[in-house]
Amino acid sequence: MRPDDERYFARIEERLDEAWDVAETAKGQGRDPEPEIEIPIARDMADRVENILGIDGVAERVRDLEGEMSREEAALELVTDFVDGNVGDYDSREGKIEGAVRTAVALLTEGVVAAPIEGIDRVELLENDDGTEFVNVYYAGPIRSAGGTAQALSVLVADYARALLDVDEYKPRDVEVERYAEEIALYDKDTGLQYTPKDKESKFIAKHIPVMLDGEATSDEEVSGFRDLERVDTNSARGGMCLVAAEGIALKAPKIQRYTRDLEEVDWPWLQDLIDGTIGKDGAGDGDEPDAEPADGADEDGDPDAPESEPEADGPAETGVDGPVRADPSQKFLRDLIAGRPVFTHPSEAGGFRLRYGRARNHGFATGGVHPATMHIVDDFLAAGTQIKTERPGKAHGVVPVDSIEGPTVRLANGEVRRIDDPEEAKELRNGVEKVLDLGEYLVNYGEFVENNHPLAPASYAPEWWVQEFEAAGADVRALRDDPHVDLEHPGVDRALSWAREYDCPLHPEYTYLWHDVSVDAFAALADAVAAGDVVEGVLAIERTDPVQDALESLLIEHAATPDALRISTWRPLARSLGIDDGLRKEWDADDLSAAAREYADGENAIRAVNEVAPFEVRERAPTRIGNRMGRPEKSESRDLSPAVHTLFPINEAGGPQRDVAEAANVMDDTGRRGRHELEVSDRVCPDCGEHTYAALCPDCETHTEPHYECNDCGTVCEPDEAGRVECPNCEWEVTAATYQEVDVNDAYRSALETVGERESAFEILKGVQGLTSRNKTPEPVEKGVLRAKNGVTSFKDGTVRYDMTDLPVTAVRPEELDVTADHFRELGYETDVDGEPLRHDDQVVELRVQDIVLSDGAAEHMLKTADFVDDLLEQFYGLDRFYEVNERDDLVGELVFGMAPHTSAATVGRVVGFTSAAVGYAHPYFHAAKRRNCDGDEDCVMLLMDGLLNFSKEFLPDQRGGRMDAPLVMSSRIDPSEIDDEAHNVDIVREYPLELYEASRELADPEEVEALIQIGEDTLGTDDEYHGFDHTHDTTDIAMGPDLSAYKTLGDMMEKMDAQLELARKLRAVDETDVAERVIEYHFLPDIIGNLRAFSRQETRCLDCGEKYRRMPLTGECRECGGRVNLTVHEGSVSKYVDTAIEVAERFDCRPYTKQRLKVLDQSLESIFEDDTNKQSGIADFM
Amino acid sequence: MPLESNARIAKALAERGYNAEREAVTLLAGATDPAAAVSAAVDRAPDDALRITADHVREAIADSNRSAASTDETGYSPVETKGSGTADPPDTEPTSDPPTDAGPAAAADAATADASATGGSGAADPPTDDLSATDASVADSSATDASVADSSATDAAGTSDAGRSPSRDPDLRDLAVGNDMTGRSTGTGEYSDFVTTFRDRYERLSKILRGRVNHRPAEAIANMPGGSDAAMIGLVNDVRSTKSGHWLVELEDTTGTFPALVMKDKGLADVVDEILLDECVAVEGTLADDAGILFADSLHFPDVPRTHDPGGADRHVQAALISDVHVGSDEFMTDAWHGFTDWLHTPEADPVEYLLLAGDMVEGVGVYPNQDEELDIVDIYEQYEVFAEHLKEIPADTEIVMIPGNHDAVRLAEPQPGFNDEIREIMDVHDARIVSNPATVSVEGVEVLMYHGVSLDEVIAELPEEKASYDEPHKAMYQLLKKRHVAPQFGGHTRVAPEERDYLVIEDVPDVFHTGHVHKLGWGKYHNVLAVNSGCWQAQTDFQKSVNIDPDAGYAPILDLDTLDMTVRKFS
Repeated sequence: MRPDDERYFARIEERLDEAWDVAETAKGQGRDPEPEIEIPIARDMADRVENILGIDGVAERVRDLEGEMSREEAALELVTDFVDGNVGDYDSREGKIEGAVRTAVALLTEGVVAAPIEGIDRVELLENDDGTEFVNVYYAGPIRSAGGTAQALSVLVADYARALLDVDEYKPRDVEVERYAEEIALYDKDTGLQYTPKDKESKFIAKHIPVMLDGEATSDEEVSGFRDLERVDTNSARGGMCLVAAEGIALKAPKIQRYTRDLEEVDWPWLQDLIDGTIGKDGAGDGDEPDAEPADGADEDGDPDAPESEPEADGPAETGVDGPVRADPSQKFLRDLIAGRPVFTHPSEAGGFRLRYGRARNHGFATGGVHPATMHIVDDFLAAGTQIKTERPGKAHGVVPVDSIEGPTVRLANGEVRRIDDPEEAKELRNGVEKVLDLGEYLVNYGEFVENNHPLAPASYAPEWWVQEFEAAGADVRALRDDPHVDLEHPGVDRALSWAREYDCPLHPEYTYLWHDVSVDAFAALADAVAAGDVVEGVLAIERTDPVQDALESLLIEHAATPDALRISTWRPLARSLGIDDGLRKEWDADDLSAAAREYADGENAIRAVNEVAPFEVRERAPTRIGNRMGRPEKSESRDLSPAVHTLFPINEAGGPQRDVAEAANVMDDTGRRGRHELEVSDRVCPDCGEHTYAALCPDCETHTEPHYECNDCGTVCEPDEAGRVECPNCEWEVTAATYQEVDVNDAYRSALETVGERESAFEILKGVQGLTSRNKTPEPVEKGVLRAKNGVTSFKDGTVRYDMTDLPVTAVRPEELDVTADHFRELGYETDVDGEPLRHDDQVVELRVQDIVLSDGAAEHMLKTADFVDDLLEQFYGLDRFYEVNERDDLVGELVFGMAPHTSAATVGRVVGFTSAAVGYAHPYFHAAKRRNCDGDEDCVMLLMDGLLNFSKEFLPDQRGGRMDAPLVMSSRIDPSEIDDEAHNVDIVREYPLELYEASRELADPEEVEALIQIGEDTLGTDDEYHGFDHTHDTTDIAMGPDLSAYKTLGDMMEKMDAQLELARKLRAVDETDVAERVIEYHFLPDIIGNLRAFSRQETRCLDCGEKYRRMPLTGECRECGGRVNLTVHEGSVSKYVDTAIEVAERFDCRPYTKQRLKVLDQSLESIFEDDTNKQSGIADFM
Repeated sequence: MPLESNARIAKALAERGYNAEREAVTLLAGATDPAAAVSAAVDRAPDDALRITADHVREAIADSNRSAASTDETGYSPVETKGSGTADPPDTEPTSDPPTDAGPAAAADAATADASATGGSGAADPPTDDLSATDASVADSSATDASVADSSATDAAGTSDAGRSPSRDPDLRDLAVGNDMTGRSTGTGEYSDFVTTFRDRYERLSKILRGRVNHRPAEAIANMPGGSDAAMIGLVNDVRSTKSGHWLVELEDTTGTFPALVMKDKGLADVVDEILLDECVAVEGTLADDAGILFADSLHFPDVPRTHDPGGADRHVQAALISDVHVGSDEFMTDAWHGFTDWLHTPEADPVEYLLLAGDMVEGVGVYPNQDEELDIVDIYEQYEVFAEHLKEIPADTEIVMIPGNHDAVRLAEPQPGFNDEIREIMDVHDARIVSNPATVSVEGVEVLMYHGVSLDEVIAELPEEKASYDEPHKAMYQLLKKRHVAPQFGGHTRVAPEERDYLVIEDVPDVFHTGHVHKLGWGKYHNVLAVNSGCWQAQTDFQKSVNIDPDAGYAPILDLDTLDMTVRKFS
């Protein structure tokens, strides 16, 4: 690590320590459930693993082993430590195994995700039929987030520990083996598995696996055979078990085998059969076929097993005739198109996004660069952070604005065709756009192809490619770059033509047109038209005919149009390419073209013809078009529970639907007392005076109270064990501190107001919760809620204030675009710009440090409010000094926040360096990867550091599966690039791609072929350079260009969105609007109508008064529980809401009769169900 | 010269706007140049005639014979179908008779059998093995294979005057339809409509059971002292197995619910297996000491009385029972259909005066994803038009009754009303009666319950394989008869449209129960009720192939309405 990086982390940790000290003092007052900060700091992965598991000594051992072996090996090595009792404080054998298994999963997931704690419930020792003991591992749903390898390895670890502890193997009963097969098939049908083992495979695994895989029920679907088994608690599918067996063992068999070979104690010879794939193949057809639908059962239920033939378009035209090399079009991204989310480019369609290679500074890590002018031209449907589903190289991208690539080309209402490279111009012109002829370039970085292991697709001809060819042709590029009169990227016509001639170098891309998109005939017709044209005042005027106009539009040649002429100002490169000289003399005729040129791609591609007649080489300008459509919109909004909550204090039903604490405090009971409620809250006891209370601070002596665990049955007072579990020694069940007690809510509320010195008028409403979901039901001090309400923030389930943003990457920034100054940056420790020049000006480009983040405007505002809340809390509740003292948002610069993603349990510390008007959270790709996110539309949250330290408590977390997910059980104070999601290591970090990349792309080469030539993040891991040197190939003026919000979010209801979607489809040349309409109907409207209609005719009902649900309507008509009104859960409105629109759209866009008829039949079905035949609505004519 | 079939002649005449006497068609088919004969006959017919009679034809042929060389009218020999084909329905008594006579040993056996049955493929799975299970029905129908040759050799059979059957007299016919709700769907999809439907089900089915037990309402039972004997009739609200292997059956009537515990050693295991949710049953037993639960001693289904005495026609007349034609599908078996309609024009088919079609006339649109790729005719209206053309091949004086199925262009929720006017107009040949699914058809004293059969999937999925399987669809039909409801279970596979009454209740015991849908042929008698599932006219589809279902395609069960004996004819 460089001293500079050392200083950077020291700065962050210094501020962290500062906050820590304040928070520690505050917490030490004992006003919170625990008298200490509950988010331990982890400096590295070993720390995280230890903290997330809560097992002492793991970190040290992990660090010992880390240098010597791989993580997987370390996980196995740790098993011995657990068994010998060197690590962990377990007495029982099952405890030791459990510790080892959890540690293994934690290690393999870098101690970030919640799988090791939430995905493994427990390990048990049970008895085989022959009296020997075996190990049972009890999995839960969240094991999913561990991924297949970790899941599979957890089984291996359990087996290894079993062998070391001399426990016997699991000997399954036949019924259990059958049960596995049925259950895995059921789970796959119900929820879906990445890999579906055949029944034979499932049985094979069940028969041979040496430990029993068990788990809790994750769905309501029950198996039909093999029910009520003695050793299986449930008849439902056990999701965790199914995942481990199918996606773990079956799918990752080769990986496990590698490790079993090294271990003497474990031997899984049967893995070989799984790997060979021989299971289920021999003797097939003897009654083990997978589930079959009934003979005629394939009704419109959309049977998932029904053959679904993916309409993959034909491959490249390699067969027979000669044609260009192209990547195969793929329709996959168009699947499940829904209303309101437009298609921008149909698969590989001309006029769509053109693939250009490069990485902009706000780019990489599953993002796609789009010109901001394009964002406006597509009616603002694209904004920074909007997710798009793409044809290649990956499945989805987050959109980032990049203006150093080409913008869209449009035809205006007056016939003029022009390219728009300026977002402002785009906004001015967009109402006059008749057709979008081309969407401009789409920037994808090389690393994306590496990450997705996708063959390179032919590159657009771009200046960065041309210049390398130019240099190779002998030009002194360096000198030309230094020459202020030469613009290598946008040279003048004369210069470009002379370069092409003098250096025998391909024509500059600026003047290279899209010849591959016009036919040889159109090419010849255009040549004739040009030869017959006139040059007036330097402008070429040619006759306006449809073929010629079409050709110019396909070639993307800017021109103006009059009723009978097309006027081209930059005409000389066009004429030359057409084999016509400046005197408009055409020097060839159609017969001169070779057969190879004429018949290339069946005559639909004129690139060879051009090269035969032009005096220079002309490259393919845009051979790859990338299909894409909108996925989900970007996000930047505060995370609120529903309904929003200011304080985690229970008030039963007394607060009304708003959960108004003041209302609950005012409710009078039978005896005339106000605000007395029977609440289920924790029973805590004061260690000094023995007083019982629900509060964390003894009301009498102000001592911190402890939870009081008293067994409901026998009254024994119990103590928690080292794992935090509390079990009654007599009754052998779990005991919690929660009890029903009468609570004076009025007093709690009034005294809270008094404590913090606020009046009720300080806030509009203070919202509590109906009941607590945590194990001990520990309430939060009402004071915190008062101050949250006052400052306009709300609490998440764990007591923190959160703000969600779509993730986007950025590796270099300009202080200016972040609405801060160079001064701010220097204060933050930035000294130089990317070129090593001293940082003096606000517009210098500075390389971003790994833990620095940029907040969206909304997030900044929210954090300001949170900072005020935290300061009030410190001052008015804890009686300490204010910590943040922010007045304006600049004051947030340099402050620390937590970044935290769903399904994980570790927060990452980040530092605010600026703000952006884009509705996204920009940060270094490594920061996102540390949270285990990429940037393809993923979102996660930020919390203010001090808020987390003060207000988070594990005591608030719901006592249910997954309750500890999305909670900061540990924080990483610094990022170690080796310990993050390795997808981020595939971001390329160079300033220029080599010529070889472009050449390789023309042959659809594997990205590996040029990997040695392009540095990616992986190459610097473990070196001094691992934290810096992230260079980029493309700049962008501002990382927040384009619309602030996608039109999807600003348009009104679904109909308005869909109208806009279809309107855009009409306008885009690369989009077939009928196909869009068909797909919206087929994938959105029809499934919606059919699904709701089906749901209607088999629905359950619910009592409006007490919420009781009935599978079938009660014969009494009213609720059997409370006598209340029962009603349907699916009404006519939800069934028929889209019918009229769908019919109208099908009509307007001329959908297939098949689609129209389906709609008509459905419409009649609805009528038949929802209308009384004997009382049909008559037309108005009947009354006249 | 290609041999002209009777059906084509009938079609040719229909195209010219004429109906034709049966004998006329036969005569035309036998003419040396049928095409010319058709034209001649049409010319010969008076301008105001709507129907070409045998006389017209004879005159026309006589004319042409005068001009052409005389034809050889010999060489035809009527071939009798071998062995008259009365397939003896396998007299399968349901194994689940009232619980009292099931010994404990039998119950135990049944229980183990059940376990192993569910072991095979799971109750939710359709049958996947055609092993020995392919039973009598196939064997029986193969016996009729002999008739195949005859049936397709029809063209030879036509020229004789003997073809004329004096019994084929429309005046003797008697056809009435009951329980048809077409045009009478009054439900508007409100909660109260559903309640009304289920109440009606309870009222009508409980009436059947009331004579058998001393029913007390749930509310009253709840107030009875512990240890009393009690009985309750209710819709099954819930069936659960307990950890100890007993069953908890919750019954609901209009006053509330009450749980009954069926002990595993009571000999009722077999009965519990047959219970479907929302069917109406009666439970008799003793209240627990705390009066909170009823220990069941016996359990009754509404059932068909063993004493049921079916009606019959008082003359020899037959009805063809078919279903699942699936016109428009790539797999529609045109040739088999022509074979069938040709045969209908033979003397042998003279008594077949009725055709009952149990749904799925066409393949439909949007029935499953990407269906358009497997359609021969993508346009739904064209499908019906072509179907109507196929219908024209049937002798013009045949009485036809049709109900819709799940592939037809009507609502999927049951009861399904008959088609709308647009489609009726397309199918207006023969004055076919198009009624709702289900409906009862009374044909010359024989009550036929027609139901398309969507619920059979569910019955087969829910019940143990020996009680209902795709290979023996009639056994699943027995279950419906026993429950006196064509689709009892709500909330699962079957969709319900709420109406003012539950049209799916089998209030009156039919003589014949006719379904289709599962594309398997099977028949048998249950308490004297003939249950027939009538196969299909669609060859194995890719989907069926993928799940190993082999449909019985191209069969026409022919029912003697006087004796209720049945013959199956094969045309594929």
